[in-house]
Amino acid sequence: MQNAKDTFYEMLRGRLAALNPGRTIVLRGVVRPGVLVEENELVSTVVLPDCFRVNWTQAAGDPDGDLATIALQCEIEYETAGTALNGGMDRGRALSAMDAELQATINTDTQTALKSNYKGLTTGLAVEPMATSIWWGQLVFGKVEIKDDRLARTGTVMVMSYEKTSEL
Amino acid sequence: MVDHAGIIRIADAALRSNAGSSAQLRMPAPAASGDDTEQLGLATPQFQDIPLSPAAFRRNESTVKLLVSASAVEGITGTLAFDSADVLFDTAAGVVVNGVLYAITDRVASLLLGEPFCYCLTLRAPVR
Repeated sequence: MQNAKDTFYEMLRGRLAALNPGRTIVLRGVVRPGVLVEENELVSTVVLPDCFRVNWTQAAGDPDGDLATIALQCEIEYETAGTALNGGMDRGRALSAMDAELQATINTDTQTALKSNYKGLTTGLAVEPMATSIWWGQLVFGKVEIKDDRLARTGTVMVMSYEKTSEL
Repeated sequence: MVDHAGIIRIADAALRSNAGSSAQLRMPAPAASGDDTEQLGLATPQFQDIPLSPAAFRRNESTVKLLVSASAVEGITGTLAFDSADVLFDTAAGVVVNGVLYAITDRVASLLLGEPFCYCLTLRAPVR
């Protein structure tokens, strides 16, 4: 399950960075693409605007067959206050731009990626490609929420994967 | 006429004389550029505890507050090259008081003559 989550994040980060290299965040002094996995970061009460925050909310598994299948619900939250120089009057356009980026990243012709095991990175080893893949469904946009001066939205996508016995 | 430096000295003296507390700001070390391990939750950053002094810690049933002198905050902000106290507190992993790590949920700067002389941090105790 963890390999599927890691692979989906790496796919999302790579595609978003290629689509809009200008969408970056500064987190603990380092500039990186504007996407993060909440459960992998320090607990914080600060919600970063203008970036995509990935949360894994539900999981279900089907152990039947030669390979077990898992389904993970991924909620991608994002919010923006627009541009300060414009007094935030472009926040709707800024949110639409983020909608478009997310849609272009997830709802593509290729909604699958080769699963990889990233655990070797901790010991200096390379990422290990696996024999199975992840795949995902269509992105579903939630309603716009108004959070003070920010507009926020959550996009939901179901990510699925075959799990080898060694991963279970 | 009292200038800003004088106001800070008065605030420092008041904090020291009113049950001055020992507190540290827990700062995560800068992330490693291009390193996936932290982004994937495979590695945890190093932390550095920086003394916040003078400070006064107050805890009752519903709230936990830490009053910190602006001189301490300005010193840390300058040393670590942060743009502002807000960015510093946003980046911090919390405040350690008597060995307990509290999360910073809010902060308010007390101003006089347009300059901060004290910061009031609202803290959240860890769930046991």
